Amino acid sequence: MGAISKARSQAADAGKFVADWLEHRAGIVTMMEHFLYEPVPKRGAWIYTLGSATLFLITLQFLTGILLLFYYVPSTDHAWNSIYYIMNEAYFGTLIRGIHYWSANFLLAVIGLHMAQVFFSGGYKAPRELNWVVGVVLLLLVVIIAFTGYALRWDQDGVWATVVGMKIGSYSPFVGAYTIQFLMGGDTIGPATVSRFFAIHVWLLPAALAPFIGIHLYLLRRHGVFGDEMEYRERLAKLQERQRLEEYEQYEDDGEPYVGRRDRADRD
Amino acid sequence: MYAPATGKQKPVEQEVITEENVFERPDETIAFFPKQVLYDLFVSTLLLLACCALSYVSPAPLTEPADTATVTYVPRPEWFFFFYEQMLMFFPGYALISFGAVVVPTVFVVLLFAVPWLDRGPRASSTRRPFATVIGVLVVVVVLLNMLMAVSRIINFPGQ
Repeated sequence: MGAISKARSQAADAGKFVADWLEHRAGIVTMMEHFLYEPVPKRGAWIYTLGSATLFLITLQFLTGILLLFYYVPSTDHAWNSIYYIMNEAYFGTLIRGIHYWSANFLLAVIGLHMAQVFFSGGYKAPRELNWVVGVVLLLLVVIIAFTGYALRWDQDGVWATVVGMKIGSYSPFVGAYTIQFLMGGDTIGPATVSRFFAIHVWLLPAALAPFIGIHLYLLRRHGVFGDEMEYRERLAKLQERQRLEEYEQYEDDGEPYVGRRDRADRD
Repeated sequence: MYAPATGKQKPVEQEVITEENVFERPDETIAFFPKQVLYDLFVSTLLLLACCALSYVSPAPLTEPADTATVTYVPRPEWFFFFYEQMLMFFPGYALISFGAVVVPTVFVVLLFAVPWLDRGPRASSTRRPFATVIGVLVVVVVLLNMLMAVSRIINFPGQ
């Protein structure tokens, strides 16, 4: 056996040992097989990638957000300066903040496309109703996260757009004024506003988002990817045939001669 | 009484197909790996490359430091709020603004949550359920038109 063949054989053995060890301790191989070989509609399509693209962009948001926290200072005195530093001095600061900004923009666009795809393909129908509801919750959370991130820049656009947004929110009946006062930390936008928006943007809403993503994925795996009605032609044909036969039997039981739906409509 | 929705445990030939379970499993399936995984990876890579390129071509904005004392600054929302901002133009004045700002969006969100129960028919294809499709297309058109109107207003009247 040559040296290269021997090295390959040893590497394969080592790989098998590691895989067996992990499988024995944590069941990782079984878990990977379960996830990777989950049955999905055969036709497959690029449009089915919108959900995974959404998940990927949210992951990018988490990762780049964590990196930005290494330099960002949530106070009115330092927020703008720290972002200026990230953009002009920090290693890869422009790239990290750029990815955070642009992936947020793409995220909103991809979520819109994902929802449109699910809506127009009828992917929310039984038994997937709950997954649609969880998806709408996720949409609302992402929109609020996007809104609360705007003020953290503490630049003119971010601050004044936030003021306008909160002014609009204050028109909510009964709770509007109290909620806005809580969010601003007083009557006007200031240091308390940055602290609260920071807490909401970085801690509260991502902590709420994560479990809902988990539920969304769990329900997706439980009921499978819907895809498109085209993927269910045979089953729909069987359903229609069964319903037709049941209708026929019903007429036979009633003692009436069976006529097709259209003839019956004409007769009525 | 609760009956498990999923009939996946049963072999296909034993399954009684009903309106409840017709969409539980497709006629034919393939494994998620490798085809769909490769599709997903391709799209994710493209998005990442686009984000990286745009980070340098059009860096994330940072205007001048906030001045909370100014009263003349006209802020612009992000593009995904254009639709909402433009809608408020249709409800001017103190009496109507709460209607446009709160009531209409709340009704929209409630309807969005209720979609699966508003459209319970057994057909999923958009051509087989024209009412839902027309409503969906109308919503998309209204959102896009509102966004275009907001863009047009911002370009033509930057100070408003």
